[in-house]
Amino acid sequence: MRLFLASIVSILLFIGIVPILAMLIKAFMPDDTIPSLFGSMQTWMLMRHSVILASLVTVSTFLLGIPLGIFLGKTDLPFRRFFIFLFLIPLLVPPYIIAVAWSDLFQMSGLPLHWLSGLPGSLFILVSVYLPLPMLLTMIFLHTVHPHLEEAGRLVATWPLTLWRVTLPLIRPALLLAALLVFLLALGEFSVPMYLRYNVYAVESFTQFSAFYNFEAATAAAIPLVLFAALLTVAENRYLRNRIAIPRHFAQKNEFLRITLGRNRWSVLTGMACLAAIFVAMPIGSLLLQAGGIDSYLRALHVAGDALLRSFFYAFVGASVLTFFGFFTGYLFLKKPFYAARTIDPLLLFLFTLPGTVIGIALITFWNTPSTNIVYATTLIVLFGYLAKYTALTARISLATLAMVPPSMEEAAQMTGAGWFQRMIHIVIPLTRHGILGAWVVASLFILRDISITILLYPPGHDTLPVRIFTLMANGSPQLIASLCIVMIAAVVVPAAVAWGWFHYWGTKR
Amino acid sequence: MKIVRFEQVTCRYDEQTILDTFSLDVEQGERLVILGPSGSGKTTLLRLLAGFVAPHRGTIYIEENAVSRDGRILVPPEQRQIGMVFQDLALWPHMNVEENIGFGLKIKGVGTTERNRRVDTILKLVGLPDFRKKRPSELSGGEQQRVALARALILEPKILLMDEPLSSLDESLSRHLAHEIVHLQEKFGFTLLYVTHRSEEARIVGTRQLEI
Ligand SMILES: Nc1ncnc2c1ncn2[C@@H]1O[C@H](COP(=O)(O)OP(=O)(O)O)[C@@H](O)[C@H]1O
Ligand SMILES: [Mg+2]
Repeated sequence: MRLFLASIVSILLFIGIVPILAMLIKAFMPDDTIPSLFGSMQTWMLMRHSVILASLVTVSTFLLGIPLGIFLGKTDLPFRRFFIFLFLIPLLVPPYIIAVAWSDLFQMSGLPLHWLSGLPGSLFILVSVYLPLPMLLTMIFLHTVHPHLEEAGRLVATWPLTLWRVTLPLIRPALLLAALLVFLLALGEFSVPMYLRYNVYAVESFTQFSAFYNFEAATAAAIPLVLFAALLTVAENRYLRNRIAIPRHFAQKNEFLRITLGRNRWSVLTGMACLAAIFVAMPIGSLLLQAGGIDSYLRALHVAGDALLRSFFYAFVGASVLTFFGFFTGYLFLKKPFYAARTIDPLLLFLFTLPGTVIGIALITFWNTPSTNIVYATTLIVLFGYLAKYTALTARISLATLAMVPPSMEEAAQMTGAGWFQRMIHIVIPLTRHGILGAWVVASLFILRDISITILLYPPGHDTLPVRIFTLMANGSPQLIASLCIVMIAAVVVPAAVAWGWFHYWGTKR
Repeated sequence: MKIVRFEQVTCRYDEQTILDTFSLDVEQGERLVILGPSGSGKTTLLRLLAGFVAPHRGTIYIEENAVSRDGRILVPPEQRQIGMVFQDLALWPHMNVEENIGFGLKIKGVGTTERNRRVDTILKLVGLPDFRKKRPSELSGGEQQRVALARALILEPKILLMDEPLSSLDESLSRHLAHEIVHLQEKFGFTLLYVTHRSEEARIVGTRQLEI
């Protein structure tokens, strides 16, 4: 068992961390790149832009996301589930699609396009993309607050005051973690600021690589992003880790306090509908308008049908591998059979928050040698990229479900003579199968929407739909691009809706 | 013969010392009741013997073989031939009664016919003949208790550990089941280590009591 788990970890470290270290070492070796990197005005401008954009995105998503999470997760607002799903859509699709949608809307309505470019546009688009994160995490962690604590508050205070003074402080560490995540994800996002011409580090790193094939410069521009991710991961590990409750058992329906909105429900509903219109309905609607009739979709499929199929294939294979690794890594976090197990969780979080482009550049630097062409020249390298970046997701989901299984379940099997593999197969995996499936679904959705890793790593002729659209965007007709975007949205949203429905069905059955 | 022997065992969690140079001998066929306030280390004692926790210092012997010593597990739980009824029973919710009870035999490669026969026998013994296909969640507390007991007994362990097995049941039912446990022990002849905090249960079950 130790051997098996240790090899899982070693493979992950080798795929994810070793290339990053190699890149760092390489970058700090020649002494001419680093001084030029930190010396130039350009660098500080990029740094300022990156930090301003990411901070504004974080603050805005939180001001909106926490109330949204409370209304959708803790009140009796009608159509809650529908709204939750709606708000999730911008997170589920490649982010630049929302930017394309808004520029279509501006164009069609005759608004000046430059209003959308630069900081304001990037901020608005990234807020609509990352809004679901604080919303979802608020909803999830609200369920971990024991009802008695809130009832005690309700005896002396109104609901808003109780939320402010009791509930939110209890989940504050979890919210801080969510803020950190949003900050780092926004910092690493390149496709939206690139499309809207707001020059940030992630864009610089990407263009140095893809437009100029300037490896040194691309690496140099990636280093501050690595340092940022490392710094914040360390901070998380040091200050937040032990203060966040793993949601060990979610409150059952009858022991979860729901707020009745009463007379206010209609005004809240109206507000919710307005937000949904702004963040979701309007952009998607304008894409639909721009795309036009069925002909454009047929043309879109003709142009990119192969990329669509490949997207599904990558998602299927990638999610399966990620689920496998994530499950055993989650098990490792929980049981910590050896000391090194403690370090793997922060390392995975670090990789997850690292911009996909940085991981891409690191993997290319590492594998682009004549003797390792078997990896570099095949889709294996794309799979490595996904593993490096997204194992944190499947591992965390696995951990959360594994933690809900009482240890005595496995111990009882041990007492009847079952070895470790037998316990896994007969007891632990069956008991966590819904969590495993959930991890698979989340992983496949993240791979479907991925652009930053795939665009750097795909072998020639093996691109995915998000990459195809992004490369066509420069000179494709707006109509074609819009219909491709709609195809992309459908490719993610339809499976997501099916999974959503299925999990709901399973949840109510239980 | 001393079937179980704790020799100068010290057990620690982080800073807190639970057992300090603790020694204990248990005779073959004994029914030892372990009493003590909550948090005194009763569960830890059973888990040490089962092999889920290693003692910091000292040695634990089963039938004169050292099974744990000085922070190391020498024989893993699945090889100790010990049965255990957990405090929360730990019945597997995704298996029915028959599958729960027959699991250990299946792992050992016992064929279906033989397995069914033995499951039948043990179900009769614990007084649950008609429950084979039910899920644990469809059973009452007392019935779940019997299934957990049957699952532990079907492998005919030399030692059976029970951790407050009846604490969730009402007094008259737990008195009744305590008598049944004594009955089964006399029939099978295993050595019993039984944790409880109820003195009446302790009187019924124990041939010897240990206060920790
Ligand atoms: N895995 C563990 N980690 C840290 N402390 C533990 C662990 N298990 C038990 N303890 C502590 O050891 C003490 C004894 O626990 P336990 O053996 O369960 O007592 P009892 O069963 O007599 O109530 C308790 O104070 C408990 O908090
Ligand atoms: Mg106990």
